[in-house]
Amino acid sequence: MIFRINKSLASRIVFYVLTFCVFLFLISLSLFYVFSKGTIEEMTYKNASAITQNTVYKTEQVLLTTEKILGNYKWLMEGNHLDCDSIMAYTQLIIKSNPEVLGCAIAFEPNYFPEKGRYFSPYTYRDDDSLISLNLGSAEFEYFVMDWYQIPAIIGKPYWSEPYFDAGGSDALVTTYSVPFYITAGEHRKMAGVITIDLSLDWLTDIVSSVHILETGYASVVSRHGTFVTHPNKDLIMNQTIFSYAKELESPKLREIGRDMQAGITNFASITFLNTDWIISHTPISSSNWSLAVVFPKSEMYAPLKRIGTVLILLIIIGLSLLTFIIVQIVTKQIAPLRHFANSALEIADGNFNTELPEIRTQDEMKDLHDSFGIMQKDLKTYIENLKETTAAKEKIESELRIAREIQMSLIPKIFPPFPDIKEIDLYAMLEPAKEVGGDLYDFFMIDDQHLCFAIGDVSGKGVPASLFMAVTRTLLRSAAPKQQSPREIVNSLNKSLSQGNESSMFVTFFIGIINIETGIFKYANAGHNPPIIMYSGGGVEMFEISKNIPLGLFPEHDYEEKERILSKTDCLFLYTDGITEAENCKNELYSEEKLINCLSLLEKAEPKESILEVARDVAEHVKENEQSDDLTMLSIIYYGK
Amino acid sequence: MLRKTILISITLLVSMSSFGQLPKLTFTPHWLPQAQFAGYYVAQQKGFYEEEGIEVEIVHPSASVMATDRLIKEESDIISLFLITALSEKIKGVNLVNIAQLSQNSALLFIAKKSSNISALEDLNGKRIGIWEGGFDEVPKALIRSNNYQVTWIPILTSVSLFMIDGIDAMTVMWYNEYDQIINSGINADELSTFFYSDYGFNIPEDGIYCLNKTYLQRKDDLQKFVKGTLQGWEYAKTHKEETLEIVLNLMKKEHIPTNLAHQSWMLDRILELLEPGSKNTEKGRLIESDYQKTLSILSGEGSSNILPLFNDFYKPVIERKILNQPQEKSK
Repeated sequence: MIFRINKSLASRIVFYVLTFCVFLFLISLSLFYVFSKGTIEEMTYKNASAITQNTVYKTEQVLLTTEKILGNYKWLMEGNHLDCDSIMAYTQLIIKSNPEVLGCAIAFEPNYFPEKGRYFSPYTYRDDDSLISLNLGSAEFEYFVMDWYQIPAIIGKPYWSEPYFDAGGSDALVTTYSVPFYITAGEHRKMAGVITIDLSLDWLTDIVSSVHILETGYASVVSRHGTFVTHPNKDLIMNQTIFSYAKELESPKLREIGRDMQAGITNFASITFLNTDWIISHTPISSSNWSLAVVFPKSEMYAPLKRIGTVLILLIIIGLSLLTFIIVQIVTKQIAPLRHFANSALEIADGNFNTELPEIRTQDEMKDLHDSFGIMQKDLKTYIENLKETTAAKEKIESELRIAREIQMSLIPKIFPPFPDIKEIDLYAMLEPAKEVGGDLYDFFMIDDQHLCFAIGDVSGKGVPASLFMAVTRTLLRSAAPKQQSPREIVNSLNKSLSQGNESSMFVTFFIGIINIETGIFKYANAGHNPPIIMYSGGGVEMFEISKNIPLGLFPEHDYEEKERILSKTDCLFLYTDGITEAENCKNELYSEEKLINCLSLLEKAEPKESILEVARDVAEHVKENEQSDDLTMLSIIYYGK
Repeated sequence: MLRKTILISITLLVSMSSFGQLPKLTFTPHWLPQAQFAGYYVAQQKGFYEEEGIEVEIVHPSASVMATDRLIKEESDIISLFLITALSEKIKGVNLVNIAQLSQNSALLFIAKKSSNISALEDLNGKRIGIWEGGFDEVPKALIRSNNYQVTWIPILTSVSLFMIDGIDAMTVMWYNEYDQIINSGINADELSTFFYSDYGFNIPEDGIYCLNKTYLQRKDDLQKFVKGTLQGWEYAKTHKEETLEIVLNLMKKEHIPTNLAHQSWMLDRILELLEPGSKNTEKGRLIESDYQKTLSILSGEGSSNILPLFNDFYKPVIERKILNQPQEKSK
């Protein structure tokens, strides 16, 4: 995948866009989820709270109505003139006038009416459509110790009993509401008895069973002591308290909730039992000290959110798929010319400059690229054509130059020793041309049997003009030397010839000498050339003819000076061009005349060849890898004499 | 569940038809069905009595007819009673005898809410204490009397409601019954102060098996079989609690007695603890004379003017010690 992403621009664009979109969707979805969850929770809690309050209100209505019934009769019982025989009639009256009441007892303290004995508790109860009246108390039915009597009597307040199953053995649940009543004898207020009514709890079951919240949410009432009075699971009713149930479910949290309910707290609680997370909303039923709980699975609360979430995720997946498809189509289409450009570029690289470029109809960057490509293609074509021509021309010039150099080099004598039969002298020369054709020259020849003529020169400038000038100089020398006997005449003749028609003002530094090999008389003339060096046979090296004259080719009428000296046996002459003394190394340091003198000082009694090769080596060492910029020309003659 | 019940019923039918002529005994426990009597129910439903060679019918007392009444009227051959109740009846002239003493320890205690500032026994002095109106009041009264406390006894029937709504300061309860009911009514154990009578020198054994002396003399063999079967039932209950609780809960459901597994499970565990002799130098099923004398002293302290029975006239074990020691082997 990574390989493919890296390889294809389209897939990379799709990957980045999709990654960003997925990120964006995830953020949006998370925010939607968080906010919706909060809203749903709030709405469900409000709904649960409303249901709870409403159910409690309905329940309280019934309980309070029942409580009111006894309020009046309590007052009646507390009157002063109570006829014990009329009491049963009251119980009957209460039942008759209140169809929801199952039974009514007015129970008195032991021996309250002496004539009635220890137990006096007229009681009327409903049996189908008829009313049955009887006196409840007996040795077997010590009502004084029964909750319905004893508790209100002891606490001195009305009391709703814990619900119980109807004595008939049916599943009908009943609760008894008991109100103690008192008589006042003198200053003493004395407990007289308890008036009770039995109330079937069918109505409560009906009210609570009708509560539905979400899918399976339900309501349940627990009594003052936690007993389930209503619950969808009938097995729990009257068998379990919320606390015993908590124990069976091993849920301490449920026990805590039960205690909160018992304490009359209104609250929402979250709890897990029976492998389900539940929300419990509980509110007390104050008059009877019961508590109503509305219970619903947490998952159902979030069910709509899950549904919307699923739909959203599906939509996002579909959307992303479509987006992917569209982006792939668009990007592929948009960048398709690039592939063509790439192919065109390859073809152009192969030399096919006329290859066709993809057609671009849009006026955008791709069009710019197309135009640039076209210009590049055209320029390349022109350039390559020019290049071909230039290269051809250059090759031609180079070839001609090479030939020119070969011709130039062929002009100078290169056979050593040049005069093997003449023992009086030995001679060696070297011309190492620079890359280009240069203008250095040397020459030597016997004018006659006695006189050796030699010369060295350096034409100003480089290249073909210099080489031509050098060739002219050398040719003139060869033609002038045999006719003239002295170096001065030769030089003057050369100068005159060179100066004529020298419109380009080229010149040549020139040194010429003629040695009488028998006498050692050495005549010479210097036309602006580097001073020659003499290595004396007895030791010592020195430059002579330091005063430079003007070079040849500038002033046709100039008369050059001739000098003369006599060479001793084994005196050695060393001539050179400025290519030697001005050879530069990388640090732009010149080889210099000093170094040349020093080098030659170490070459006492060396033969010319040895001296020249040694100087060449020394110069090379100085120059090192720096490119040779000028011709290196040296000429050395040793005089042995007769 | 249903299948198991059917299987048991079939087993019982088969047993009964095979031993159609088995001598029959009617047994009445001293209270309504609950785990307190699990051993008897298990022995009956698992066929341990039939295995011994007797047929046992269990008839429970009602609100109006107590176990003792049935014994006197000879409607029941055997009943279970608290030791002190039985001894009291004996003193009153009912000629009953103890043929096995199952419970070895007292399960009675006073409880009070810590919020009533009762944390030591002496704090009960001057307080209103709930006590059952229908009996079992001798030991608590003797305990209070022995400490010379003045208390107001408030008679109550069976409910714990009066205690729950603070109508009384303290209450006599059974460790295996009312105590757990109170816990199951929402009061936490750490909110209660408990005073076990056994910690104050009143570790009086409770449940025992009784019959009339006449029956003892005439049907000693059958009685022995009943006790053996019962002990086997208790051993079975001890090792098969889940099954035992199922038997008990089914029975209670049939009798329309509200209850739940959590409470009956607590009760069974506590009852099984009470059957163990613990630190007492005796064995399961036997009554030791010192317990008898202590019980007698409590009753005589209440001012009974009747002639006090002798230990041997009261306690007539139907099973020898070594047999008592081997109920499990027998059951194999």
